[in-house]
Formats: sequence, structure tokens, C-alpha cells
Amino acid sequence: MALESLDRSPPPFFRVGFAPLTKLIFFGVLSVVLMFGDKQLQFTQPVRAGLATLILPFQWLVLQPGQALSSVSQYFESLDDAQQKMKQAQSQALMQSLRAQLVEQLQLENQNLRLLMGLQSSVATPSQVAEVLFNVPDPYNQRIVIDKGQLKGVSLGSPVIDTGGVVGQVTRVYPLTAEVTLLTDRDQTIPVLNSRTGARNIASGDSLSGVPLVELKFVPASADVKEGDLLTTSGIDGVYPAGLQVARISHIERRVDISFARIHAKPLADMKGRHVLVLQPTGAQVTTKGKAP
Amino acid sequence: MIMTRREALLLPVSPWFIVASLMVCLVLNMLLGLTQAIWLPDLLAVCIFFWGIHQPRRVGIGIAFCLGLWTDVQQSSLMGQHALTYAILSYCAFTLHRRLLWFPIKEQMIQIIPFLFLSEATGWVIRLTTGDDFPGWPLLLSPLFETLLWPAANFILLAPQRRAHDPDDNRPI
Repeated sequence: MALESLDRSPPPFFRVGFAPLTKLIFFGVLSVVLMFGDKQLQFTQPVRAGLATLILPFQWLVLQPGQALSSVSQYFESLDDAQQKMKQAQSQALMQSLRAQLVEQLQLENQNLRLLMGLQSSVATPSQVAEVLFNVPDPYNQRIVIDKGQLKGVSLGSPVIDTGGVVGQVTRVYPLTAEVTLLTDRDQTIPVLNSRTGARNIASGDSLSGVPLVELKFVPASADVKEGDLLTTSGIDGVYPAGLQVARISHIERRVDISFARIHAKPLADMKGRHVLVLQPTGAQVTTKGKAP
Repeated sequence: MIMTRREALLLPVSPWFIVASLMVCLVLNMLLGLTQAIWLPDLLAVCIFFWGIHQPRRVGIGIAFCLGLWTDVQQSSLMGQHALTYAILSYCAFTLHRRLLWFPIKEQMIQIIPFLFLSEATGWVIRLTTGDDFPGWPLLLSPLFETLLWPAANFILLAPQRRAHDPDDNRPI
């Protein structure tokens, strides 16, 4: 055995690089600068997008076992289950066709009325279906990653919905994927309209004893709010189209010593489904409409 | 290489094995991350700390910082948060590397607990100062599990260096 192959060669005394403390201070300052830039100035987005694209193959690799498992379990799902699901889907389709016929008539009526009153006709929102890849591993935040990104025309701030209602909003866009912050995330806020009273409120993400919900902020204790009220998007924010279902009020707490009521609502979106619909923000459509001749 | 008592003479480490072990830990961390449990150990931190102790010239603060940036993007946490945590961990490993290997494994575990807690605490402080909620006490389990992984890390990561280099039946060693 050659002697050099053991770790017996003399250490290179004169080229050990910088002292570890110097390195620590350098990288410490660098990471503080990065953190500040990420939080306050948002200049790290290109670095993040580049690295995220680099990481994508690894993420794909990691997701494969789970997906294989779920496809196998789907294959062995019992016939009874499948038949029951089909029946459910059929009855749902019947109910929806009834509503759809009504909607068409109402839309026509609405259009005529809008023409009569000289209002701008409402725009149809372009949308695309995306698949949910995974929940973001960070346990402190509630976000999901979808498989459509910048290259497919997903833009920052796009509303995301599923069969139940509004899921959230696109908060980070990468070339091939995008990150959606759920309504129940504590940093996420959505303007809503109480469909019973017509009152407009702001709902932000909150959790009540561990259950992720949304909370209505700054509602006076005397306001007319009942449990079971439906909250929909108001359409005045330039992001969400009007009339999408958001949540249903589940808890109301009125206390004498606080002038605001504590109101929690349960989101109607499924949030656990595999497919979502990404809409274009309404503001973007209005501006592009304005620019076109 | 400082040898502990009854420790076999180790072969030189293969740089490719270090790279491979770090990559495997990255991928396993991704897999564990999908469960979103806060008490699960950070395998990459253990791996960085281990190589920082055993091969301080090869796995230093710079590599730890880059792996931290990678983790930040992958977990979509604040940019630089894991980078700072891993850099501090790597520096701790450097300050400890001349002393730690003189002790048997159990005493090594007792000595590394504070450093793993320190790196975990750095992460919490960053999160709390940037406005996240405190996620709950189960996260104290994470450094404990990391410490319990230390013997396993010793066994697995030193295994390629322990194999006989040139087997010969006529030689006593």
C-alpha cells in the first residue's frame, strides 16, 4: 500500500485558505443580505427561479414513489366505490345542468340589462387546468406547487380555484412551476362579499385551535353576520372575478370588551384535490383590453 | 486523522462518496419534507456536521452555505435562512473536530447536542423575527433525533473507509 494513500501526507500549511471565522462572517453577512433582499426588496427572485429549475428533476424523482403508490391503489379500488362515485357524479351533473340552463337565461338577461344601462359588459376569464404537484415542505406556511409556470402563461397574482371555490393565489412563478398560497395561510388576504347582506369584508388566513380557516377582519360587533352566511369574491379588487365562492361563516364570537367581532369562516374549496383551475387576474384583462384598439 | 481507541485504521475518503452522501441526504430531506412534520430530523444537517468533523478540509462553510441555499429554494423558505443555519453548524464542526474524535461515540453524542440545538434555534429565531408563528414544541425533538442518528452516520458514512484495502490471507492485519 502506498504511504500517501493514508491520510499521512503533511497538511498543506501555506494554502489552507481563509480562517473559518472569516468564512463564517463572510457567509453570515451574505445570508443576512439575502434574507433582507428576499423579505424586503425581492431581488432574489431570479436566483430562486434558476435554482428551482435546477431542483425540479430531483423533485420529480422524489415524487415518483408516492405517485406510483397512488396509481396502484387507484387500480385496486373496488367496483362498488367506482359505481357509487359514478352515481354521485351523474346526480351532480343533473343538478348542474338545471342550474346551467338558468344561468344562460340569466346571462342573456343580464347582458341586455347592461346594454340598456350602458355598462361595460363583463369579461370572460381565460383559465387553464393545472395539476397539484405537492405541498410546499415548509411546515410554517400553507402553499402548494402546481405544474404550470411562466412558460404556460401563469402570471403573478393569478387566482386559483377548484370545484368548491377559491383555493388561493399564485405568489411565486418559476419557468415550469408556480407556487400557490392557500387562503388559509396567515399572510394571504382576500376581499369578500357577504352574499346575504351585501357587506364587503376582508378575509385573511387564520387557524382556530389547529384547524386552518379564514378570519373576517375589522367587522364591528354589531354587524349583521350569521353563521352559515356565504362569502363570495366581490370583484372590485382587480384580481378575483366576481361571484366565486370563498367560504361559509362557521364561528362568530362577540365580546363586550372588544368592539370587533371575531368571525371565522370555513373555506369551501377542497384544497386537497389534485387539479385546480388557474385564472388570469381580472386587472390584467382590463388593462390589456384598454390598450387594444 | 485522529484515531479513537480500538478504531480501525481508516482508508482515505473518496470525494465522490462525500458528494454522493450529501446528494442522498438532500433527496431524503425532500422526501421527509413532504410529510410537513416539524419533529423529523434534518438529515442534511447531520451529514454536513459529520463531514465537517471528519473531513474539515473537504466539506467546509462554503459548501454548507450552498447546500443551505438549495434547501431554502426547495422548501421555499426565506432565502438564506438554511444557508446561515448550515454555515453556523459547519463552523461549530470545525471548532470541534480536533477534540471530538478522541471520545467514544456516546460521549461524542453528548457533546454535539448543544451544537445541533444551536443551529435549530438559529432557524427559529430567523423565523420569529421575520414574522412566522411559533410552530409548537415538537420541534425540540428534531435535534434529539439528529443526535440519535450520530452512531448510524458513523457506521454508514465511514463504512467505505473501513473495508480492507488489499485483502491478503497471509498477512496478520
